[in-house]
Amino acid sequence: MTSQAGTGTEPAAAGGSASSSLTLESVRAIAKKDFQDSVRSWLFWGLSVFFFTLMAALAGFIAWAEPEELTTLGFISLISQVCKLVIPLIALVLGWKSIAGERETGSIKVLLSLPHSRKDVLVGKLLGRTAVLSLSLGIGFVIGMLAVAFAVTEFSFPAYVAFLAMTILYGLAYMSIAVSLSSVTRSTTMAGAAMFGVFVLFYIVWNSIRSALGLLMRRGYIDGVSYMTTTLTGQQREMTRLPDWALFIDMIDPGTAYQNTITLFSGLSGENIGTTFNEAAFPNGLPFYLQDWFSLAILLFWIVVPLVVALYLFDRGDI
Amino acid sequence: MPAITVDNLTKSFGQTLALDDLSFQVEEGEVFGFLGPNGAGKSTTINIVLDFARPTSGDVSVLGMDAQQHSRAIRHRTGVLPEGVDLYDRLTARQHLEFAIQSKNADTEPERLLERVGLVDAIDKKAGGYSKGMAQRLMLAMALVGEPDLLILDEPSTGLDPNGAREMRKIVREENERGATVFFSSHIMEQVEAVCDRVGILRDGEMVAVDSVEGLRDSVEGGTTLRVTVDRIDDDALQAVRSLPDVGDATVEDRTPPTIVVTVDGSKTAVLSTLEDRGIEVRDFSTTEASLDDVFQSYTTDTGVHAR
Repeated sequence: MTSQAGTGTEPAAAGGSASSSLTLESVRAIAKKDFQDSVRSWLFWGLSVFFFTLMAALAGFIAWAEPEELTTLGFISLISQVCKLVIPLIALVLGWKSIAGERETGSIKVLLSLPHSRKDVLVGKLLGRTAVLSLSLGIGFVIGMLAVAFAVTEFSFPAYVAFLAMTILYGLAYMSIAVSLSSVTRSTTMAGAAMFGVFVLFYIVWNSIRSALGLLMRRGYIDGVSYMTTTLTGQQREMTRLPDWALFIDMIDPGTAYQNTITLFSGLSGENIGTTFNEAAFPNGLPFYLQDWFSLAILLFWIVVPLVVALYLFDRGDI
Repeated sequence: MPAITVDNLTKSFGQTLALDDLSFQVEEGEVFGFLGPNGAGKSTTINIVLDFARPTSGDVSVLGMDAQQHSRAIRHRTGVLPEGVDLYDRLTARQHLEFAIQSKNADTEPERLLERVGLVDAIDKKAGGYSKGMAQRLMLAMALVGEPDLLILDEPSTGLDPNGAREMRKIVREENERGATVFFSSHIMEQVEAVCDRVGILRDGEMVAVDSVEGLRDSVEGGTTLRVTVDRIDDDALQAVRSLPDVGDATVEDRTPPTIVVTVDGSKTAVLSTLEDRGIEVRDFSTTEASLDDVFQSYTTDTGVHAR
């Protein structure tokens, strides 16, 4: 080892930086510290109270309205509408400063002065913040359940727990996006801009894509797929739908993917609500990438890919 | 085996050259003062030693290991007090230390560490309410976790009152006696002279001097400055004074009566007798010892006394 001294003229040391390793104990230590830290933040509790209030109001309204034959999945799909919109907001706000903020105040040097790698920091932060988010989700779901359980005929606890797990997975996907972006930006201002960009992308841009594609199809720029369907009055009608690839683009949005996975719980609650896409519209069968299980894969994609890219970038360059 | 070896280290940020072919060693078991004005490149050097930043070229090895390849192993055996960083406002001193202890797999009580740095009363207070000095004490305590072989203290006196700075130096000595190597950066000379075995002076990314405190003092012309007030002066006498072996420089302050300012290392009487031999009347004289600050000044600025 000491032989390395005196070999300073070797150019090899210049560009090649050692990629750091990932250690379980370090990840755990950082996640624990980050959880302790974030769970005491007013910002977190502010967002949580907002979420709890929404859940209580929604569940309370459903219980008050007492719709006939409200099933567990019916309730879940109502709640999922709210979660789809609110969770990204909470995750982006919670994850925004996770690493950029520590870089700005320099406290990241406290973390990295200890025997942790940069990868440990990234993964530990992601898990710590997701744990905090999950705590909020868990409490919110209990509130929702207490308010509505008696209004639902045969409330399926397993389906509800599975839905909570899927919601946490959805939160993890947005947290992965948030923490990853926070790690590759140098200031909280830049990180904030990136969070806003993500918000605009998935709340506005992606939602417009489907309408835009529909418009293009009606104008004849995109060839739609025609199929026969039976209307309520029993008549056969020809319908046109977007081609498979256009439907797939819509599915890539994490929020859409999250909602599509809900049908996966029909087995747990003993209900059959069918699949996201009307099977009659696919006479040749549903391509695998439009099947509901693939939405789960898309959700996993949004967890893994931003993180992997960030792990690579954060490991290079200077803190 | 040296504790830190820096070999031909260059670091540039875009067009700015922060470190220019820097080489030095910190020997095992010594207290090394890393001195330089703000912006000289001290933090950049420490950042590279700890792998927070990557060198443009050159090698750094710490405790016999490559700073980049084995950073985790290095940091496992190193205690760091980083400069100008915030703590976690919402966590207490105890939680900070528990995190450091868990991170290093160490077996220390947070209370004991805080007793050493004089912060045990605030153990369950959140760091958000700490003064700068308290935060500095907590960070020093975190650096001491796990009896590190190497302590890297970046401007450790920041925010400390004179008493706190003295306590900090005491801990540095204790750690050094335990066997730890201490690498200690500062922009104030007097903070390093009391504890450091050797001092390296960094200026504009280059090491301009590495020596013991006495050695540095000796290396600077104007160890003593002699001011002689005379009735008159001529070039001949001035040249004679300048040619004396112990004299570094001699200048005349333009006033009546004229005053000659002479920097001398050895005999002052030689200067006086040389003047008197040439018929110049010495009316008054005074001497001033060069302070270590002058030494530091001489290495880090273009004005004033000059390094030999």
